[in-house]
Formats: sequence, C-alpha cells, structure tokens
Amino acid sequence: MADIIFTIYYSEPGQDIDLSVTENMKPFKYTRATDAASATRIAAENPNAKFLAGGTNLIDLMKEDVERPDELIDLTNLTLSQIKALPSGGLSLGALGRNTDAANHPLVRQNYPLLTQAILAGASGQIRNMATNGGNMLQRTRCPYFYEVSMPCNKREPGRYEGASGCGAREGVNRNHAIFGWSEKCVAVYPSDMAIALSALDAIIKVSTPDGRERDISFADFHRLPGDTPEKETNLETGELIVAIELPKSNFAKHSYYLKVRDRASYAFALVSVGAALELEGSRIKQVRIAMGGVAHKPWRARKAEDYLIGKETSAENFQLAAAAEMAEARPLEHNRFKVELGKRSIVHALEMAVRGGKS
Amino acid sequence: MVGSPLSRIDGILKVTGKADYSLDHPIDNVAYAVLVKSTIAAGKIREVNSAQAEKTPGVLAVISHQNSPKLNEKGGIRGGALLQSPEIKFFGQTIGMVVAETFEQAIYAASLVEFQYQEASPQVNFESLASKAMPSKDREDEKRGDARAALNQASLKIEEVYSTPIEHHHPMEPHAAIAEWEGDRLTLYSSAQIVNGAQNSAAKTLNIKPENVRIVTPYIGGGFGSKGGQWANLVLTAVAAKVAMRPVKLALTRHQMVNSVGLRQRNQQKISLAATADGKLMALAHETTTHSAIDEEFVEPCGDCSKLMYDTPNSLISYRVVPMNVILPTYTRGPGKSTGSFALESGMDELAHKLNIDPIEFRLRNEPARDPSNGKPWSTRATAQCLKEGAKAFGWEKRKAQPRQNEQGDYWVGHGVACGTYPAHQRPSSANVLLKREGSVVQATVELAAADLGTGTYTILAQTAADALGIPVDKIVVKIGDSDLPPAAGSVGSVGAMSYANVVNDVCQKATEELIAKSGKQFFARPTAAQLMVSEKIENFQSSVQSEAPASAEEYSSHSFNANFAEVWVHKFTGMVRVNRFLAVTGAGRILNPKTARSQIIGGNVWGIGMALTEESAMDPRWGNFVSRSLADYHIPANLDIGEMEVIFIREDDTASNKLGVKGIGEVGIVGVAAAVANAVFNATGKRVRELPITPDKLI
Ligand SMILES: Cc1cc2nc3c(=O)[nH]c(=O)nc-3n(C[C@H](O)[C@H](O)[C@H](O)COP(=O)(O)OP(=O)(O)OC[C@H]3O[C@@H](n4cnc5c(N)ncnc54)[C@H](O)[C@@H]3O)c2cc1C
Repeated sequence: MADIIFTIYYSEPGQDIDLSVTENMKPFKYTRATDAASATRIAAENPNAKFLAGGTNLIDLMKEDVERPDELIDLTNLTLSQIKALPSGGLSLGALGRNTDAANHPLVRQNYPLLTQAILAGASGQIRNMATNGGNMLQRTRCPYFYEVSMPCNKREPGRYEGASGCGAREGVNRNHAIFGWSEKCVAVYPSDMAIALSALDAIIKVSTPDGRERDISFADFHRLPGDTPEKETNLETGELIVAIELPKSNFAKHSYYLKVRDRASYAFALVSVGAALELEGSRIKQVRIAMGGVAHKPWRARKAEDYLIGKETSAENFQLAAAAEMAEARPLEHNRFKVELGKRSIVHALEMAVRGGKS
Repeated sequence: MVGSPLSRIDGILKVTGKADYSLDHPIDNVAYAVLVKSTIAAGKIREVNSAQAEKTPGVLAVISHQNSPKLNEKGGIRGGALLQSPEIKFFGQTIGMVVAETFEQAIYAASLVEFQYQEASPQVNFESLASKAMPSKDREDEKRGDARAALNQASLKIEEVYSTPIEHHHPMEPHAAIAEWEGDRLTLYSSAQIVNGAQNSAAKTLNIKPENVRIVTPYIGGGFGSKGGQWANLVLTAVAAKVAMRPVKLALTRHQMVNSVGLRQRNQQKISLAATADGKLMALAHETTTHSAIDEEFVEPCGDCSKLMYDTPNSLISYRVVPMNVILPTYTRGPGKSTGSFALESGMDELAHKLNIDPIEFRLRNEPARDPSNGKPWSTRATAQCLKEGAKAFGWEKRKAQPRQNEQGDYWVGHGVACGTYPAHQRPSSANVLLKREGSVVQATVELAAADLGTGTYTILAQTAADALGIPVDKIVVKIGDSDLPPAAGSVGSVGAMSYANVVNDVCQKATEELIAKSGKQFFARPTAAQLMVSEKIENFQSSVQSEAPASAEEYSSHSFNANFAEVWVHKFTGMVRVNRFLAVTGAGRILNPKTARSQIIGGNVWGIGMALTEESAMDPRWGNFVSRSLADYHIPANLDIGEMEVIFIREDDTASNKLGVKGIGEVGIVGVAAAVANAVFNATGKRVRELPITPDKLI
C-alpha cells in the first residue's frame, strides 16, 4: 500500500511521448488528441487508455493507484467547449467546457437555473474551474473502499472477489452509501451534483463513436445500476467520447430548485440531494421532474413521486404523499437509515422551494 | 511594544515562500525515503519479499524489521513502529521503508515490497469493547465527598453519556524530516514542538549522545500536539540516511497521517450532576470510558475541567480504558479539556434547563472561591466576568429560555453558552541575548530553543525584547527552533508564550543590570540597554539566563478561563447547522499581542466548531482502517459554516503565576466551544445531541 505519484512530461501538440522506457514509475503513454476522430480511434485501439479532460478526478485516482491506465489521451486541444443555443430552443454544452462556465452562462442561468445551482453546489471554485462537463459525468464514486487499494472492492477489481465479500462497504462503514438500486456486489453512490440537474432536465448525451458516427444517449440510459458489473458505470462503449450535453427546451425555469444536504455547507458531497422542477398552471402541476443524488449508483429519478404529482395541486400534503411513495421503495443499509427520512424531507422541501421560485 | 497588535514579523517570509519548513532546507545530494504501511490491524509479518523492489532502478535500500539497525524502543519515540519486530499492532503501522535516488523511484519501489502476514483478529470495535474497559493505570480515580450517595439521594439530577469520535490533528504541514549525518553527528531538519525533547528522544532511540543530535525546526506548519512527542518517522529518516550514506528526506502523505502520528481517542463520558432546587450543585461525577493502543496506555484527561470548574461538596472523576488495535492516542489541542468540557458543559446546560434556571446564572451560583481540587486560591479566575461581559456583548437577554421558540423562515435559531479552562504553568527555559552596536544603532539577537508553530512566537519575543532593551522591534533578531540554542520549554500545553516571554524578559533585564554595573555609574532613572551600549561605547555585549516559575506560583491555582457564546441556525427540514455568530470571552493574563492572540483564539474556536459539527475519523469496525483519510472526507468547517466571530479578552493582572503575568492561549480557545454549539442546537431545536459530531442525520 503506497501512494503512487508520477510526473507528466509535456509534449508539443501532436507529438507523443512514450514513457514506458522510464522504469522508475508506473509507465504510461501521454497522447494529445487533435480532434474527436483521432481521440476515439486511439481509445478504441487501446482499451487501457483513458481520456484526460480536467483531470480533477482521473489524476487523483491515478495517484491513489485506483486507476492504472497505460495511456492518457489528452482532450484539451479538442474544440468542444462551446455553449450553443439550438434551433429547437434547447442548449448544447460542449463536453470540454468548464463547469464554471456552464454554471454562469447567461442562457443557462436564464433557462436552466436548476443546472446553475447544482453545478455551484459541487466541489470548490478552483475545482469547478478545472472540471469539464464531460468529465463531471464520468467522475467515479467516492466510496472509501473503492479508494483504498488494500480494501476489497468489486468496482475497482472486478472478478477478484467471491460473492458479497468483494464489497467492503456492504457490511462496513456505509453511512454515505446507496438506499436504492444497490446490489450485493456494490452499494456505492454516484457523486455528481451536475448530473442530478441534467437527469431532471432529461438531457441528452451526445457521443462520438470510433467508427466516426455520432449517437445520442438519453440521460436516463446513460448511467447504470451496479448489478453484477459495478465496474461498468455507464453505457458508453469502448472508445466512445462524449462531445456534448444537450438540454431540451423546457418550461421549468420559473419553478426549480436544487437542494443539497451535506455534512458541511460547502466542499462536501451530498448526503442526499434533490433536483426538483415544476411546470405549473396556477397551482396545478402540469409537469414535474424529481431527481435524487446521494442515494444510488446513478442519478435517481423519483418516478413514483412524479407520477403521483402529475395533475395534482401543489400542496404540502401532496408533496408528502409523493415523497412517501418514492421512499417506500428504499432499502437502507446499516448506517444510512437516516437517508430514508432525509430523502422524504428533501423531496418535499425541494418541491416547496421550487414552487416558491427558489426563495426561502 | 508588548500589548500592541504587531503583525507577525515572519509573515512576509511565509507568504513569499522564503520561510524554510522541514523539507525546504537546501541540502545537497538528498535521497528519498518512503514508508510502507501494514494492511492489517493485528498479527505478524511472516515474510518480506523485497527482491523486486531492490531491483528497481534508483533503489538504495529496502528496510524492514529483518534488516533494520537495532534501535532503542524505549527511547521516547511515541507509538512504536520502529521496524524492530514482525509484530503488527494497528492498521497502517509502518512496516518497511524504501530509500531511492528520487521520490518517484522510492514511491514506486515501495509499492513492490510484498509482505505476507499471519493475521490475528483485531480489537477495533469500540462499541463492543467498551464494556471490557478497566481502570486506567495512569489516572487514578479522584474522589471528594461521596458523589454516588449524593446522586442516589438527589431528586434533581441528570445522568447522561456524551461521546466524541476519533479526531486527527491534520496540521497543514504533514510530518517530514531531512536527516544528514556527518560522522557521528546527526542533523535533523524537522517539525518539532519540543525542540530539546525531539533531540533527546531521537538520540536515545538511535543509541547516540544527545549532543550529537541537532534539531533544526525554524518554522512549523502546525502541530496541535502531534508534533509534541516525536514519532517513528523522525528516527526512520535518520536510519535511512545512515543506511544510504546520504542525506535523506522523508515526508508523510496526508493518508499516512491517520496512522503515523497519534490521534485524539474516542471517549464515552458519563456525566452525573445533582443540584438543589435553587441551583446549588451537590454532586458531580465525570466517568470516562475510552480506548488506548493495544500495548500502551494514553488517556486524555477528560475530567480535568470537572475537577475545578464548579463548587460541589461531592465529586468523582474516573477513567476506564480498553486496549485497541489503533495507533497510540496522544495530546490533541486542549487534551481532555476540549472533549471533557463538551460533556460537563452539556450536562450543566441540561441541568439548568431542568431546574428552569438561566444557564449563565446556574454557573454563577456555583462559582468556587478556591480551586476545589486542591484548596488553593486562584491566581485569577475570570469565569464570572467572562460570562457577564460576554452576555452583554452577545445580547444574551434576547435568547428564548425555552427551546424551539425562535423561528426564522426555514430555520430554528438558538443560543448557547459554555465555559472552559486550561492550566497555566511557566516551564524552565534558558536564553541568550547578544547586543551589538554600530555607531548609535543598537541591535539585539535573542536566542533560545523555542518553537513557533505558526502562532506568533517570533513576534511576541521580539516585542518583549524590544521593551526590555529599549530597542526598536525591527532591530531585534529572534533565533529559535534549533537545539544548538539554549534549552527551552516546548510549545505544548500552552506553556510556550509564558515560559519564553519570561526568560527573554529576564535575560534582557539581566543584560541591562550587567551593563549598568559595567558602567560603574549611578543613574537617577534606569537607562535601557540600548542607551548604555551607546553611552559606554560598548560594541558587543552578551548575557545568558535560566528562568523558571516564581516560588509564589506553587501557592496558587493558575488557569486561563473563558466563556463561549454561539448562535446557530438549524435548517428545519434538512438538519444542517450553521454557526451564525460565535463569541469567545477569555481571561488569559496579559495579552502580549492582541492580533496574534485573537488569531489563536479564533483558530481554537473553529476547531471547536469542527468538533461540534463536522470532524470525525471513522474506522471500519471489522478491519481497523480509517475510511476518512483525506481532507475531502475529514471535514473541517468551511467559511460558509461560520458567520461572524468575535474575540474579547478580559484584562487580567496575574503576577502570581509568573513575572510577566502571561498565561497560555493556545488551547483554551477550543475548550467549551463544542458544548456552546451543542447547547445552542438544543435551544434552537429542543434536540439534545450527545454524540458528536452533530451532523444533519442527528437532527432530523
Ligand atoms: C475535493 C473534491 C471535492 C469534490 N466535490 C464535488 C461535489 O461536491 N460535487 C460534485 O459533483 N463533484 C465534486 N467533485 C468532483 C468534480 O466535479 C469532478 O472531479 C470533475 O467534474 C471531473 O471533471 P474533469 O474534467 O476534471 O474529469 P477528469 O478527471 O479529466 O475525467 C474524469 C473521467 O471522465 C473521463 N472523461 C473525461 N472527459 C470525457 C469525455 N469527453 N468523454 C468520455 N470520457 C471522458 C475520463 O477518462 C475520466 O475517466 C469534487 C472533486 C474533488 C477533488
């Protein structure tokens, strides 16, 4: 057990450095991709390669010896950072745009304030300046058993362990872990705040494939529950690159709210978070979206609560019944029973705040 | 100068990166050492396979118990782990070390050393072990009167258990050292709160003479007790340098900090209090159950505040300990007092509520005229004044006496108070002063093996010397942090400022007396050393002194005291707590520099708020590893968690404790803070949380 630190040697764009001759560290190759096509091609040829965007998660995990890519494909030269209004009335966020820029873009602030709030609720100013929209989607769980290489973890080392013994958290310290959709193999939660808002907004992930095609993945189908393959966190195929995130036109801007409950007021991951968005006709709910963070291996859409609320009045009682319907399905672990009650309260409060237009 | 808010004289060096911390000293030809840590908490090393690591380019040595030089395990290094035996006593114990040409090579090779274990079942689940706790070996039960009987008879009483988690010091600068041998002489550039202590324990452990060890520690990036006693890393750096025959650098990573340099142990404190209906305390029992390391006892004195805070005819203090497979617990800011005051002052608040007496009034009714633990008079005791002036400054009269009465939008607002104390003792120290004149300009250097943890020691000593010599503060050079200088007390237990300032004042006064004598003249008004150097045309003059507490100090009970006031806003739906306002009122003798003193108190307050709301090192109850190993999961309060902070000092003239009337402020700032916050949370919500930290899950 030791921390692995390494040095990145910089190269000119287009020039590769082969570090595998340097025997004094974990060797890996560093490649600068020039465009999406070259990035996906290189990635398809080498399943042990990883895209490098802001690096705020990947480099940390390499230092911890959790991620061990033998090649880094640096994406920063790709021209994929624009934020563009779409003819359909939606908005496209380039995959390499920085989280800070996405949160503060006037069109995002105006049309998708839920997204602004969610991004700004995450990490710190410095990290958001580095972090990219694409990288944020693929940030990995903060489960301590995943991070500590001497602990068992099916996600970090699939196939090494028999049955449930491969999840250190299942019977360990699991206060921060899942209450929905977990499996005996993995009880980790997905940590992104930004993604919770995107889930509520039914975003679309635009992907470039190694054979030069583009394909769309709906947000609900992007992240996965752990099942028997917790190491597979999304439905991206080998070599596929996120090029953009599209936000469809919506009427939620007036009534949305991102609530993040955490152990300190800033710079902590969510215990539970709720992105709530409402479209109202008077006090009747025409459309509603509720997505939860900190409760599952993926952004958790509270469909039961949504179904209950469609067409109903915005009353405290309705919100409570909706929240109760959702949380009835929860399966808490030893240390996270509180998330059931906290989840209920958070759904109700986020909906109330959304009705009030975010003003407390 | 003394008493003025001078900015830290080392501030510019620090913000421009010119202050050399342990690893910054420019030493040529250094090699790098990296530690290898155990991945089990109990057992034995069966086999070490270092073949692959040794073959790795750049590797100079792989050291384990199998080939380590013999060290003296009783030499005063805390926590063992000196690579002397195959025994594994806690998770993350240092079991090997790799030395290589570069840091990258060392860290890579360290990952290749293979250890085979024979595992034993670790004792790491405190919940299940607590019932097996036995009386402490070091701390005997202390009884006055018969607290049990008084509690049995009483009808107005509380009996509750308060628990605090394992905490870590996590100073900004993780422990690190450079070791350089020249023949038999060893220099260690490191981070040491007790310069001479580090020198002695390193020497003894390495089986060499203390005079052959030099500790150089001019700047320290925080320590909070973890750099008081020294740990294996210091001595292993010297071992690595010996084996590699080169200077060696060894730094702990943040992750390694959780099991290398001690911790604040978990405590379960049972507080029993009984009072009469008009609020006179009749009994106080403070019974602590805790754990220590598996083979050595360290128990922080949780009952210390309870011994002397309140007047009661019957009192009982006790400690029960169970060995556990964790690193040796150690002194952690306000040892025992910060955690102990959480229990005592929460209990006082609970009983005040039960008696329907204002918690400030309840405390005032139980103010002891003398120290109840030893009958000595107080040198000064500011508690009542802290409470009264604090109440005024804080607006206490606006507080709702009943909980859950102050609603502001989505928040419950609450106010809480709690007191604290920390002992004040001047420790023996020695110092030199060197005066030098050029023309009419006189300059002075004061020298002593003191340590500045980043708190302002350089500055207060320059101020003290400036006043004592009549020399402007910018003509004073302070040399500390080097064991070649005259031996001095450590920067521990809040003794630094009073021990150092007194000896510096003494040596400057002595130099002045000697200069007067040397002049052979009589003066109407006593001239300053500076004036004498000029009038007598002396170019160089030097003096030395050794100082200790005045004899009168023994006759008194000397302590700093405080009262803490917190206003919290608790979110009604989510249970998140924000400390909107915090006020600390402190009586700590003479304040040498109100600016650095204020920073010290605020630092203590913030840590106390962290203790109340966020800090916890959670351990896996099966395997004994810490699951919060970095500052991303070990939460200290962020700016957004705390609003306004205010610090008030009570003027005190306490010359019984020491000549200058200085008391420590390093620790009292954290004492009573967690209870003030917890009491405010109760006042806000009606929920009494007795298990820290008060995270949202405990309030919904
Ligand atoms: C201390 C700390 C606290 C944090 N707190 C929070 C928090 O409270 N809330 C929160 O939401 N986040 C938090 N974060 C996480 C932060 O948001 C992520 O690290 C960041 O969003 C990752 O973006 P990146 O561009 O740096 O990704 P990288 O680290 O570069 O990449 C992450 C992963 O995404 C892959 N990848 C990157 N771009 C693409 C692409 N275009 N296509 C396909 N794959 C790609 C990489 O290969 C890698 O596997 C925190 C991080 C830290 C260090």
